[in-house]
Amino acid sequence: MNAIGLHINGVGAVSAAGWSSEELLRAVRDKVELPVTNCPRPGAERPWPCPVRTVPPAPPEKQVRHPRFRRVSAISRYAAAACLEALKDAGFDTPPPRLGILFVMMNGCVNYTGRFYQEVLDNPAQASPLIFPETVFNAPASHIAALLGADGAVTTIIGNSNAIMEALDMAAVWLSCGVCDHCLVVGAEECDWLSAEALTYYHEAHIATEGAGALLVSATGKGPSIQRIAGPLPFHSWKERGELIPQLALPASILIDDHNGIAKHDAAEAAAWSQLTFQARHSPKKLLGESMGASAALQLVLATLESRDQKTSVAVSMPGCNTAAYACVLG
Amino acid sequence: MKSTAEAPPPDQTEFAVRIREAKSRVPHSSVSPPPRFLFLVPDSNLQRIAITGAGIVSPLGIGWKANEASFEADRMAFRPVPPELFGVEGFVAKTAGIVDLPPKVPMPIKTCYADRGSVMLMLALREALAQSGRSTMEGIDAVIIGTSAGAMSLGETYFETAVSDPGRHRRQLSRAEHYQPQRQMNEIAAELGWRGPIIIVSNACASGANAIGWGVEMIRSGRAKRVLAGGYDALAKLVFAGFDSLKALAPSGIPRPFDAARDGLALGEGAAVMILEAEEVRQADALADVTGYATATDLHHLTQPDPLGNAAIRTMTQATLQSGLTPADIDYINSHGTGTPFNDVAEAQAIAAWAGEATSRIAVSSTKSAMGHLLGGAGAVEAVICLMALRGQWMPASLNVREVDPAVKFDLVRTFRRAKVEHALTNSFGFGGTNATLVMKRRSA
Repeated sequence: MNAIGLHINGVGAVSAAGWSSEELLRAVRDKVELPVTNCPRPGAERPWPCPVRTVPPAPPEKQVRHPRFRRVSAISRYAAAACLEALKDAGFDTPPPRLGILFVMMNGCVNYTGRFYQEVLDNPAQASPLIFPETVFNAPASHIAALLGADGAVTTIIGNSNAIMEALDMAAVWLSCGVCDHCLVVGAEECDWLSAEALTYYHEAHIATEGAGALLVSATGKGPSIQRIAGPLPFHSWKERGELIPQLALPASILIDDHNGIAKHDAAEAAAWSQLTFQARHSPKKLLGESMGASAALQLVLATLESRDQKTSVAVSMPGCNTAAYACVLG
Repeated sequence: MKSTAEAPPPDQTEFAVRIREAKSRVPHSSVSPPPRFLFLVPDSNLQRIAITGAGIVSPLGIGWKANEASFEADRMAFRPVPPELFGVEGFVAKTAGIVDLPPKVPMPIKTCYADRGSVMLMLALREALAQSGRSTMEGIDAVIIGTSAGAMSLGETYFETAVSDPGRHRRQLSRAEHYQPQRQMNEIAAELGWRGPIIIVSNACASGANAIGWGVEMIRSGRAKRVLAGGYDALAKLVFAGFDSLKALAPSGIPRPFDAARDGLALGEGAAVMILEAEEVRQADALADVTGYATATDLHHLTQPDPLGNAAIRTMTQATLQSGLTPADIDYINSHGTGTPFNDVAEAQAIAAWAGEATSRIAVSSTKSAMGHLLGGAGAVEAVICLMALRGQWMPASLNVREVDPAVKFDLVRTFRRAKVEHALTNSFGFGGTNATLVMKRRSA
């Protein structure tokens, strides 16, 4: 796996904890209880609870002022704020030339997609041509590229909750082939009633959330590097997943795990890592909820911050949900 | 890549040295500013990448032979969208390029959750594997598949079910699960005996070309020796409605790329995959080589191309440069050629600016004129058409042209043509501004 050696030189995050990676770290360290609301649904009320933890309103300094962002979906706003923070964190006041962008998601622009499809069902002749382009999976990546003037390689990857590991692998390929000098790897997701409801079909205790985590990666730099990777461990069933997860356990000083507080889901992962001891352990999903395509990105942001702050190694457990499991160690 | 402790000084890494060399070799163009983005450049040490298998499913037919026969006959594949796919009441356009799927395709996914696109992908996969002498995907290092809509029809059913009644519904969990393209591909991979990373690229209409391109770069970087790459998309109501709302679909249902009075595109569906192998591990006969790939992002607008086609100029320049070729060496271009007023004029101008004096000698056609725009599948299907042209020594036609647009300075292929094709190039441009160019070279039989 050639993402080993990649340096994470800057990070940024938007989450239910706030519009910065610092707020995310503080919330996770202090185990802050974040507010939960019941997700509203158009039409009739649903007869079961559908809790969500949404991102709070953006502070003025985090609002992106660019013509492309006049009517973009929330996912683009979250990703833009996270990317700008990651660039600044890496010491770039302006975006560097030869910047690649890899955007990872599972659901994408679900709000506009649902809205547009409802318009189609209501009256196809009046479906809005302004909304449709925003439903396309790579619209957010295109907006970020326009914002940053990144006119080279820009790609959107759809995948499992840990697909950011595939994106990091691709970033390493790009860097080693000379496609770019630096690469922003961002995982983002937005909440809507459809995806929040879908999550409750997996387990009624799931809480959907949203946000974005961005990593500015380069071949060299002062940021922590990816030192070890376990995976991909492909699985085709939940049973296989459980059998493979023990291979994820990598020693480190701190662990950022994938626990969401639902015992049935956490059991295999808990058993896998139980043989190892850690100075500290964080479970961001217990605090935030399930952000799907953004979840592993937020874990990696936290791991980078902890590694930098504590000057130690941090393991990240990303067992995934429907294709492959990963873990990695930053240091 | 090496870890920090082992790494040489930043300006002495292999990567840094290579970039310096690349910068010194990139020519400055008079038609566009020097590219800010550099890609692999001609280098005798570059890995030779062979295509050892390819599969194609398009509205013109299932498989290489059926598609070749359709091109030979200058056949078009447009017909009314059947109600069992979706209703087109209220839309301006009523037709599309539709794949006639066999009644029963063995699929690992339960019929009600197997998206049409996945079925097409499976058929293309089986053809590609058979062509490279394989019955399974064993030995493949990575799978990269492009799609712009994934299993959209399942998402539509999920939505319609959810809005019809706020209660909980049986099958919604499976619909949500199988709506995800990586899940569909994972089940196909399991059936074909393969375990490994699955990367789903979604760069709109450039997805398939990008998937093949990233496969090439994975091999060149040493990350993989053998990659299965391609793209697919099936027709879906939401997407059809989207293009209809943008007034991008030809009201007549007949796309006329590069015609002076063209009025829009027709949608289609299909899938294509290629097996790419590093030359030193190649296990089957090579059908052709992929010699160049470049991608760039057009920042002009979310859905409209830069009128001068600057991003396309960059990708064509870089891909030919990487192949060690000049524009004059390219015999045939399978253009993006959608048939929309904006796209075709921008692409025609880009080709003229890139090729200069060689423009009039380069044969160009748009196969979207025969099968429609396959969106996430287009780049992969059109790459396989280039491969077929290299193997068969022919050029497919741009159909339905009545009066050639004055922007066209190249040799527009208007009927099927037997011709020498040594090097072929294909362009793919997508929503969001993703541009991709692939260059392929013939291998002698």
